[in-house]
Amino acid sequence: MKILILVLLFLVSVYIGYLFSRKYKTRDNFFKAIIYLCQKFDIEINYSRQKMKSIFDSIDEKYKKDLKGLDKNFLAFVDKEMSLDKESLFKNIGFLKEEEKDIIFNFFKTLGRSDVESQSKEIKNFLNRFEDFSIKASQEQKKYGSLSIKLGVAFGFMVIVLFI
Amino acid sequence: MLDKILPNDIYKILKYKVNLNSINEIRMRADKPIVLQIGGKRIFLGENGVTSNIKDAIYASKIMVEDVIFRASECSLYSVNEQIKKGFIVTEGGIRLGLGGDIIEENGQIKTMTNYSSVNIRLPHEVRNCSLSTFDYLVNVNGVMNTLVVSPPGAGKTTFLRDFIYQLSERNYAYNILVLDERGELDIGQKGCIGSFSDKISFARKVIGFENGIRSLSPNIIVTDELGQKEDIDAILYAINSGVKIFASIHSDSLENLSKKPFFKPILAEKVFQRYVLLSMRNGPGTVEGVYNENFSRVVL
Repeated sequence: MKILILVLLFLVSVYIGYLFSRKYKTRDNFFKAIIYLCQKFDIEINYSRQKMKSIFDSIDEKYKKDLKGLDKNFLAFVDKEMSLDKESLFKNIGFLKEEEKDIIFNFFKTLGRSDVESQSKEIKNFLNRFEDFSIKASQEQKKYGSLSIKLGVAFGFMVIVLFI
Repeated sequence: MLDKILPNDIYKILKYKVNLNSINEIRMRADKPIVLQIGGKRIFLGENGVTSNIKDAIYASKIMVEDVIFRASECSLYSVNEQIKKGFIVTEGGIRLGLGGDIIEENGQIKTMTNYSSVNIRLPHEVRNCSLSTFDYLVNVNGVMNTLVVSPPGAGKTTFLRDFIYQLSERNYAYNILVLDERGELDIGQKGCIGSFSDKISFARKVIGFENGIRSLSPNIIVTDELGQKEDIDAILYAINSGVKIFASIHSDSLENLSKKPFFKPILAEKVFQRYVLLSMRNGPGTVEGVYNENFSRVVL
C-alpha cells in the first residue's frame, strides 16, 4: 500500500511538472500562430482583399488549434452586435501576461477598421511586437519547459526518499 | 442584411413598428435624430415607430454611425475601400450606404474616408411592372430605343431600370443585355431581378466597363445607372458607335435642366437618345411624368 501511494505521489509530482512545461509550450505555439495570422492577414488584405471572416475560415487547422479559441472568440464579436472587450476575447485563455493581452487586444480592435495601406502598416507594427513575444516565449520554453519536468521528477524522488 | 448592419434595437423598431418594405431611406447623423424617408416623405424614427415630433425621435451617435459602416463592410473596411473612395458602400442585396465624413487625399487622389459622421442607408425595392406603362413607347419593331431615364435622386430611376430589364426578359426579347452595375445597386440579388438574358459587370467605371463588356460579351443593349461625368458620355458615344443600344439614367429634375448640363451637350447635339422618361416624386417615388422623344416633345402621358 505504501509503495502504491509513493508511486502515485511521484506521478502527481511529474504531472505537475509536465503541466508547467506545457504552459510554456502552449505560449510558444500561440505566438507562432499569432505571427502566422498577422502574415496571412497582411497577404490576404493586400492581394485578395477577402472579408475578415473568410480569412479566419481559411486558417490552417494546426494554427487554429494553437490559437486556443482566440479566433472563435473574435468571430463571435463579428457575428453579433457587441463591442469587442478584453474579457470576451481572452475567454478560456489563461496563459498570457497582461501586457501581451493588451497588445493582442489592440491588434484585434484595429482589424478591418481601415484601408489596405493603413491596415497593412498596423499589422506590420503588431507583427514586430508579436515576434518579440514569440522570441521570449521560445526562450522561456527552452529554459523552463524541460526544467519543470526535471523538477517534477526530482521532487517526486525526494518525496519517495523522504517517506522511505 | 439590414439586421446585420443596424443596431438590434433600431432594427426591431423598424421591423415591428414600421413597415420595412415601405422605407426608402434611413438617415443616421451623429448626435441628430434618425430620419426615415417613406413614400417620398421624411419622418423621424421614435421608440414606438415613426413620429413627426422631434422630441420623441431616437438620436444616432457617432459610434452608432461608425459601427453601422463597419458592419456593412462585414467588419472589413479595407475590402470596400474602392467604394468608400467614391463615397458609398453597397452591401449584399443592393443596400447602398452613402457616407459622410472626412476625405483623406494624397497626391490629389482620394485615399479613403475617415471620421464618419453620417450614413444614408438606401433600401432597394423591386417594384414589378413600374416600367410597364412606358414599355411600348421604348421598344418598337426595331427593338429597344436608346433611352434615358431622368429623375431627381430617390425618385425611382434604378427601380425603373431594374424592372425594364425584367420586362424584356419576361417578353422573351432574347437580347444580350449587359448590366453595368457601377455601384452594385441594379442587381439586388433577388431571383430574376435582372432577367434571364443579362450579363453583369459590377463596380467598374463606365468607360472601362463599356469597353471590356462590348469586346468580351457582345451585348445588344447596355443598361447602366447614373451618368454623371464627361467620361460617362464618352463611354455612351463609344457604345452607340459600336452599334450597342443604351438604356441609362441620369439625375435631373427636368429636361430643361438636363439640357443645361455642360457634359451632356454632345449627347443632345447628336440626338443619341430617342426616348427620355421623366420620373418624379409627385405621387411617390417612380411617378412617370412623361415619355419624350429626342426633341423633348412629349410622346405619351
